[in-house]
Amino acid sequence: MSVYSFYIFDRHTECIYSKRFTQQPSPPRTTNPAASTLPNGGTTVPASLRQANKDSDDAKLVFGTVFSLRRMCRQLGGVDDQFLSYRTAEYKLHYLETPTQLRLVLLTSPQVGNMRTVLHQIWATLFVEYVVKSPLAPTEHQGGRGVGNELFEEGLERFMQQQQQQQ
Amino acid sequence: MISTRVVFALLIINKAGGLIYTRTFAPGLQRLDSNDYLILAGTFHGIHAISRSINPAPPPPSSTTTNNPSSSTNSLPTHTPAPPPPAPSSTAGNPTRKRPHTTGIESLESSHFRLTCFQSPTGVKFLLFTSPEQPNTDVVVRRCYEMYGDYVMKNPFYSLEMPVRVEKFERAVGGYLVRP
Repeated sequence: MSVYSFYIFDRHTECIYSKRFTQQPSPPRTTNPAASTLPNGGTTVPASLRQANKDSDDAKLVFGTVFSLRRMCRQLGGVDDQFLSYRTAEYKLHYLETPTQLRLVLLTSPQVGNMRTVLHQIWATLFVEYVVKSPLAPTEHQGGRGVGNELFEEGLERFMQQQQQQQ
Repeated sequence: MISTRVVFALLIINKAGGLIYTRTFAPGLQRLDSNDYLILAGTFHGIHAISRSINPAPPPPSSTTTNNPSSSTNSLPTHTPAPPPPAPSSTAGNPTRKRPHTTGIESLESSHFRLTCFQSPTGVKFLLFTSPEQPNTDVVVRRCYEMYGDYVMKNPFYSLEMPVRVEKFERAVGGYLVRP
């Protein structure tokens, strides 16, 4: 299996952490010369900034998708129904919501099974240990403050490598 | 003995996101009024489109995609006419390559039900709500698509994109999905 990306959203619907485990293709480099020859050239956005914009847009889209699907599941299955995952031919999205309305989203290759326990482990052994219990992290992680600390990043990296080796 | 393998409902959404058919086969889902079903269909149509655009998977290496068409044309030398092959190969070799066509949501799982979505090449979506234990849902939903083709599309009195009110279709789907 391969893990594509991972997002954490807080209860204010803000993306407080996101990580991509795959390299995106870099078409901007090849399209740049063509773009500069266009009449509206001159306002070319640097590739890094464009990538950052795309990442934050992606996070918003992921949240919107998850939010709507969660609502749909509640509407159809009753109030205690939980949205677990969806699958397309290219990827699979796993979702976990904690009692504090922290939402963890993991995107993997489509062949993997249920990753709910994995998400729960990330929350319990990494997020709670390294972020919630960190004296330096604020209670509300506005703009992702206090989440992306060294211990958490390292732990997540190691955890994902373990997962990829196991499967 | 009550089996836990149940088909709850079937929804058909036309290519504009409008609900054209809904039928419940077994209790198990919450009762929704027709307006809620319409909203649900529209919402799902939107999410389906978004789920295609947030595809995080890296595209397959372009070198293999450019090689594949040529090898396939070599294997079928007499069948392919001369003009079409250069066009796809030139688009594949183009540096501003488009991402491969993605499918959107194919199946969704919640703790109470599973939703299998099948999109026909013309953009009609078939949503089948089943219990999570139901096997072979993709086969079931394809069979529903066949029935739609047979009884709805071949009906000369059916107008396209409009709600499906075809008695034969009702009977066929009922006979296939309702458990005795």
